[in-house]
Amino acid sequence: MIAALNGAFDDISKAMRLHRVWIALAHEDIGDQHRRTTLGPLWMLVNYFAFVGTFAFVFVTKDASNPSYIAYVAIGMLVWFYLTETITMSVSLFQREASFIQGTTLPLFVYVMRLTMQCIIRAGYSLAGCVLILLLSGYGINTNWLLSLLGLLLLILATPAFVVVFAFLGAFFPDSEFIVGNLMRVGMFFTPVFWVYSGQEGVQEYAYHWNPFTYFLEGVREPITAGIFPGHSLAVTGYFCLGLWAIALLLLGLYRKRIVFLI
Amino acid sequence: MTSITLNNVSLVYRLFEKLTLSAPGRRRSALGGNIAKSGTKQVVQALDGVSFELKAGDRLGLVGPNGAGKTTLLKVLYGIYQPSGGTISIAGKVDALFNIHIGFRPEATGRRNIVLRGLISGWTAAEIEEKMEEIIDFSELGDFIDLPFKAYSQGMAARLAFAAATTLEPEILLMDEWIGAGDASFQEKAKRRMDELAEKAGIIVLASHDDALIQRVCTKKLTLRGGRVESLA
Ligand SMILES: Nc1ncnc2c1ncn2[C@@H]1O[C@H](COP(=O)(O)OP(=O)(O)OP(=O)(O)O)[C@@H](O)[C@H]1O
Ligand SMILES: [Mg+2]
Repeated sequence: MIAALNGAFDDISKAMRLHRVWIALAHEDIGDQHRRTTLGPLWMLVNYFAFVGTFAFVFVTKDASNPSYIAYVAIGMLVWFYLTETITMSVSLFQREASFIQGTTLPLFVYVMRLTMQCIIRAGYSLAGCVLILLLSGYGINTNWLLSLLGLLLLILATPAFVVVFAFLGAFFPDSEFIVGNLMRVGMFFTPVFWVYSGQEGVQEYAYHWNPFTYFLEGVREPITAGIFPGHSLAVTGYFCLGLWAIALLLLGLYRKRIVFLI
Repeated sequence: MTSITLNNVSLVYRLFEKLTLSAPGRRRSALGGNIAKSGTKQVVQALDGVSFELKAGDRLGLVGPNGAGKTTLLKVLYGIYQPSGGTISIAGKVDALFNIHIGFRPEATGRRNIVLRGLISGWTAAEIEEKMEEIIDFSELGDFIDLPFKAYSQGMAARLAFAAATTLEPEILLMDEWIGAGDASFQEKAKRRMDELAEKAGIIVLASHDDALIQRVCTKKLTLRGGRVESLA
């Protein structure tokens, strides 16, 4: 156990010393994904606007009197897209990096940070879109936005742990790539991304209270749409983060040398 | 002091697919390691009780038929594979050239690839900048250095990879096969570079099927067969 944790911390500290590598590689990745396109990474912004626009257009009729719905969807989509993208890309991370893993001795955490970095850069474009939507729908910048940053910070802190857990899952159980992919697609409907929970019973009640993603979303959203300090959500996400990091460290410590034989 | 010591090192690959092999004893191959069963899993014994010692200035040639375990041994030396048994101790900074495409990004220019390669080997941006011209000169790529890597011929890619790896001054250099891709004049240059490296008390391990190359470059020769050391001279 102690040896495992030492191994994990060793891997992580080596990766941190190589931070220039994963920062450079993440930038290359973003560039590669949009090579030879005219809009380049701005496509991420277009994609985000298209989704928020569709949902706002389809569902706003009922809540037409309530402009905060657009803000609700805009922030919900921002966080949800970030989580989905991170998790689905994590599952196939080690397979995608096979040639580097089999050809260099970089610590595994370098690949984890590379993906984390890549997801954060991509989310940056959506974030810019989100801020624009908030401003246009009449939310001036105020101190509540700072509380939202707390939620975003927790989300970013949790990201490497998410990546490690799902990357190992994908390496040890190749089927999980398809299972996780489908679950995340369905998951959008079981998470309060675009529907508002106001005490309904049945499925929605469970989907709201027992879904960890709810709290990641609410931690960022509540300060802006409801103007409250999301104490409960932040506490739940905080504990969730700690648990996730504990699992991630154990996996990294115990199994990092096995990955190269599995891919 | 640069050195490599291997003691009774073995390595098995586990196979995850269910295999049906023909009746035992039928198609035994002269190539490759032993295919065996361990519990319910099939395994390939790629290295079996390999021991040897190298000290500063040694240039070892690894020879043996296809599947003898040469690439596997180099990857164990580099630290990519943890041996399944035995011990290994290495003193010195190791760099390796396995496959031209490993560690190079096809979309990025040659210049950018040198930067990435340097960062991966733990060099700072300033150190890489300092060596950049030397690498470009040695590779003789000229203006091609600013073209994407995917636009290079095999030999050009090999020149770049070799120039980058050796200019970054590793103490131990592992090479698998492929410098044969360079033309005669480059091979001559590469040989001189390897001589220099060995004189600076480095160690070179080179796997190749080209006996003439091994004769020219190496001072020792290790023959592997079926994962076992057949001879060391
Ligand atoms: N990923 C793998 N999974 C299972 N078996 C493998 C794997 N890689 C290599 N082997 C087996 O290990 C043995 C040694 O392979 P290796 O690649 O080291 O040979 P080599 O000496 O480099 O051969 P060559 O001259 O063809 O390059 C072979 O029997 C091969 O089938
Ligand atoms: Mg080989």
